[in-house]
Amino acid sequence: MKPEERSEYLEKYAEDKKKGIPFFPDAVFKDVLVGFLVLVVLIALAYFGGAPLEERANPSDSDYTPRPEWYFLWLFQLLKYFPGNLEFVGVILLPALGFAVLFAMPYLDKTKLRHFSNRTWVMGSLGVAVVGMGFLTVQSMIDIPLPADVTGEINAAALFTDNCSVCHGASITISSGTNLHETIAGGHEGMPAFAATLSTDEIDALAGFVVSPQGGAIFTANCAQCHDSGDLAAVSPFELQAALSQGTGYAAHAGLDIPEWDDVVFGQDRTALLNFLLAPDGQRLYTLYCSECHGRSIDWEGDRDQLEVLIREGGNHLEMTQWRDVLPESEIILLAQYVVEPSTSPDGEPLFAQHCSDCHGVRVPTAPDVETAIAIIADGAEHRSMPLWGDVLTEEQLTALVTYTLDASRGTPVIIGQELFGRLCSSCHGDFGEGGPNPSDASDIIAPISTALYLETRDDATLRAIISKGQPDQGMAPFLDSEGGPLTEDEVAAVVAFLRSWEDDPPVDFPPDLSRGPVAGGSAQVFSAFCAQCHGDDGAGGPGLVGPSLTSDEFQDSHTDESLHDAIAQGHAATSMIAWGEVLTSSQIEGLVQHIRSLGGRGAAQTIVYSRDIAPIFQASCSGCHGSSGGWDAATMTTVIESGNSGPAVVPGDPDGSTLVKRLRGDGNLMPPSSALPDSQIELIVQWIAGGATAEVSVGEGPSADGDYTWTADVRPILQASCNACHGSSGGWDASTYDSTINSGNSGPAVMPGDADNSTFIKRLLGEGALMPPRAPLSDDQIATLIYWVNSGAAE
Amino acid sequence: MMEKIGLWFEERMGWRPIWTALALRNIPKVNWFYTLGSATLLVMINQILTGILLTIYYVPSPQDAYSSVSFITNEITAGWLIRGLHHWGASAMVVLAGLHMIRVVVHGAYKFPREVTWFTGLGLLAVTMAFGFTGYLLPWDQKAYWATTVGTRMLEVVPVIGPWLLRFARGGEELSAVTLTRFYGMHIWVLPAALLLLVGIHMFLVVRIGISAPPKAAESESEEPDVEVEA
Amino acid sequence: MAKMSRRTFLSRVTTTMVGGIGALMGIPTVAYLVSPAKARGGLGVDAIPLGPAAKVPVGEPTLFKAAIERKTGWVTQTEELAFYIFTEDGRNFTAMSNVCTHLGCRVRWVDGDEQFFCPCHAAVFNKNGTVASGPPPRALDQYEISVEDEQLFIVGKVEA
Repeated sequence: MKPEERSEYLEKYAEDKKKGIPFFPDAVFKDVLVGFLVLVVLIALAYFGGAPLEERANPSDSDYTPRPEWYFLWLFQLLKYFPGNLEFVGVILLPALGFAVLFAMPYLDKTKLRHFSNRTWVMGSLGVAVVGMGFLTVQSMIDIPLPADVTGEINAAALFTDNCSVCHGASITISSGTNLHETIAGGHEGMPAFAATLSTDEIDALAGFVVSPQGGAIFTANCAQCHDSGDLAAVSPFELQAALSQGTGYAAHAGLDIPEWDDVVFGQDRTALLNFLLAPDGQRLYTLYCSECHGRSIDWEGDRDQLEVLIREGGNHLEMTQWRDVLPESEIILLAQYVVEPSTSPDGEPLFAQHCSDCHGVRVPTAPDVETAIAIIADGAEHRSMPLWGDVLTEEQLTALVTYTLDASRGTPVIIGQELFGRLCSSCHGDFGEGGPNPSDASDIIAPISTALYLETRDDATLRAIISKGQPDQGMAPFLDSEGGPLTEDEVAAVVAFLRSWEDDPPVDFPPDLSRGPVAGGSAQVFSAFCAQCHGDDGAGGPGLVGPSLTSDEFQDSHTDESLHDAIAQGHAATSMIAWGEVLTSSQIEGLVQHIRSLGGRGAAQTIVYSRDIAPIFQASCSGCHGSSGGWDAATMTTVIESGNSGPAVVPGDPDGSTLVKRLRGDGNLMPPSSALPDSQIELIVQWIAGGATAEVSVGEGPSADGDYTWTADVRPILQASCNACHGSSGGWDASTYDSTINSGNSGPAVMPGDADNSTFIKRLLGEGALMPPRAPLSDDQIATLIYWVNSGAAE
Repeated sequence: MMEKIGLWFEERMGWRPIWTALALRNIPKVNWFYTLGSATLLVMINQILTGILLTIYYVPSPQDAYSSVSFITNEITAGWLIRGLHHWGASAMVVLAGLHMIRVVVHGAYKFPREVTWFTGLGLLAVTMAFGFTGYLLPWDQKAYWATTVGTRMLEVVPVIGPWLLRFARGGEELSAVTLTRFYGMHIWVLPAALLLLVGIHMFLVVRIGISAPPKAAESESEEPDVEVEA
Repeated sequence: MAKMSRRTFLSRVTTTMVGGIGALMGIPTVAYLVSPAKARGGLGVDAIPLGPAAKVPVGEPTLFKAAIERKTGWVTQTEELAFYIFTEDGRNFTAMSNVCTHLGCRVRWVDGDEQFFCPCHAAVFNKNGTVASGPPPRALDQYEISVEDEQLFIVGKVEA
């Protein structure tokens, strides 16, 4: 505005003001009236809408779908149009730009004209901005519920809503040839791997929905009244085709009031419906339609086009020899057994390699049982020829199937990855990724990498990076060739694929499932629910288990009750032992400490297992010299007992008379020559011999099998002697039966199983509130028995 | 009676000139859309009052936040109303401020001599948004926790300093007690201070410069120079 | 009716509405602020079990302790309460607080003197709780006690 325009405006304004109205009360009246109405509306909203409060925040609940406050929704929606690297534009640049434009308004719109009819440009922008934000907000509100509204019967829609729509909106456009199943299962570019949270079926349902959302709508409109989409997905494509093309002529549809499907669902719609029912997922299609005849994969060396023609046109393209004319019956049976279960019939492998692998490759076809396999092998050419898949499958399905078949014929990544893992990784990570002692750092334990949690919380890119670059500070070398390692990028990806294959069924169930909540019951139950997963049911550890033995003397001696308690409550930072203090009550942990003590020495029954307890001692200290070259041989249990320069070294049942023990104790020549074994090891060997020197020897005696007290055996006698005189069935606490001992009482149940501290019964015995029995407390031993009984679950 | 009391205070405080300047001044003839600003002000007062009341029971720690909010909602008399007014007032504030801004744009009221009023108004809008964002976390329920997780994560996309910004906003890598207390501090100390400062300037200017008159259509405006010439 | 000017009318309506806004905001505010004051002392639980009546020797006040859980606001705390139980005949019982009414120290029964003694300011109470000497303004607080099934329960506070 020019200076003269400014002064002109000020003059005009002064005039307007003179001709205007007094601020009070005229304008104030309007302001207050509107303010009053606004307040009434707010109170009405508060009354009818309330102040929403959801569940307490749960940081471990990753299923929650967050939504911002409604006035941020437009921004939220905007982000969906700026994926990946462009996110910055949506999140920061556009809003900042918008604000900058607003700030600059007085300078962008600098004429003296103020009426909106003279400022079309500004009004237009304002309109666009308001309509745009309104549109985005509405879009965001309808976007997410949309698939769920389709129908509750299609769980694919619900899956989509729950898992995809937050980021992807109502639909996803995918380029052809994308392996959707792999993308969903393995994640990519910041998208989580869903294999950990969704089943294979769910992933396929999702893939089908993504490829053909319109297929979902067609299904809902035409089929959902009678069918569940999941049911139809498993039906053979021939049946689907028949049902669609024959209409009421299709046997199962006879007599139903349905249209001729050919007139209703045709062309693209039919393709969409079929794609929806059976996602174009090559692996699944192969499993459903091909693996019955072809096993896990076919051996194919031709090019893709040939394979596609072959699958499309099908026919009797392979003719198998009638093997009964060539091989003796015994070899056919052997082959059949090998085909049914390769691992149990290793003898069949050379036969297979000689006769079958020309056509079948290294992949073994599958057969349900030996009889069927024999029939197929013996009859050869008569086994079924291949259908014309081109007539049955949609183009999308066919493409996916051809791609998968081709890939599989070269060995699927999972199989390659498995081989690589076994060769390169398992020495540190274990065969099943269960971890174990770190060979490069004795003080370190490698945590499991095959738990659901581990795999779920690392996407493929992270896993690839770890394998490629190693973890130098933890002693893991880089494995990618460009980093100096042995693997190509494809091979690294194959190892990742193999790791992912664990997600369906993690071999290491750890960290344990805590969702079951606090465990009621005695220490034995707590132990088997939580501890046994890693330490074994008997707490003795063992092969394949992550945790160390809790029963060994070494363990028992090196821990005080206090350090055991701390270890359970606080966990070990370096290992996969988590802090149980958050899950278990302190009295449960105390109970566990007692239970662990009862598992170890202290008079409890103990088992010495040769392979677990004795063999490692010989392995470490003897077999360096005592091999199979003569004299005593420390290699196996039999040789340990029976060999020796002067007769058998071990006399079962008589440790003192056994040469082995004499030598260990220094009677004759001390063995090992330079330094005796530790006393605990000698004692263990002595006990093993004393117990009969067999594969498993039990020593010591315990109070009862599980070490727990019971009401009938241990508690009732005390109650009868000291309580029943007063506490009968006349009211208040009743000590006459097991149920009433626990559940009756003046102020609620007298016994809280597993929690002596809060059991009124125990409190009274200790004189809390009122001492019981009055003036004549029970002996300390009796009270200890009762506390232990309550803490261990108050068994009957 | 009232006049006597008024006089008593007048002699001791001299408030009448202030009252005259504030209330008894003339303003141009305005329409109902001009009430949007004062409605926003009323909702702001509502937010301040109910906000202060909420702090009387609210505790900003992950252990207590949810329990105390639940206590306010379910056990304190009229607690549901106070929280409800604060909750819905937040939305109303955004709506009314937005409508008020549209009114200003339509009337071209950001033009000379009211540029500074417009700038402070924009500042107030930003502060209101920041209030909404920080207040959303305080109940520490699922919605609060996860929406804030996503909301703060957006900062990460800023080039170069994104990760640092994220840690700054959260007070660490993850959403935690530290996040809660800094959001609380922002929500009840920092932002209100900014709000009151900006509202003070905004209101001062509204009185000092006066509110804009509803502009007239093109014909009359183009005629104006002629009128002036004649004058 | 006197004719009212538009100005006066608007002023009055405006003032009334301001008053309305004030009331709409003010009344809930007051209710909200005084709400916790409604919770009176009391036991916080229905009955506190003390144990068998037989444990109280005739003629001699005996100390019983009981833990109760008290919920204040959203926090639940465990509090320990102690009572001197006294009976002359083994049938009628009285329960007294062991908190001195002077400044809240714990009083102790002294067998030989047959009196309660407060160590803080040398207050002395009689066997029935009345003040014998010293600064306390009133007798020890009394609780209602009931006997059910030969068991003692504190069921409430005796209002002075």
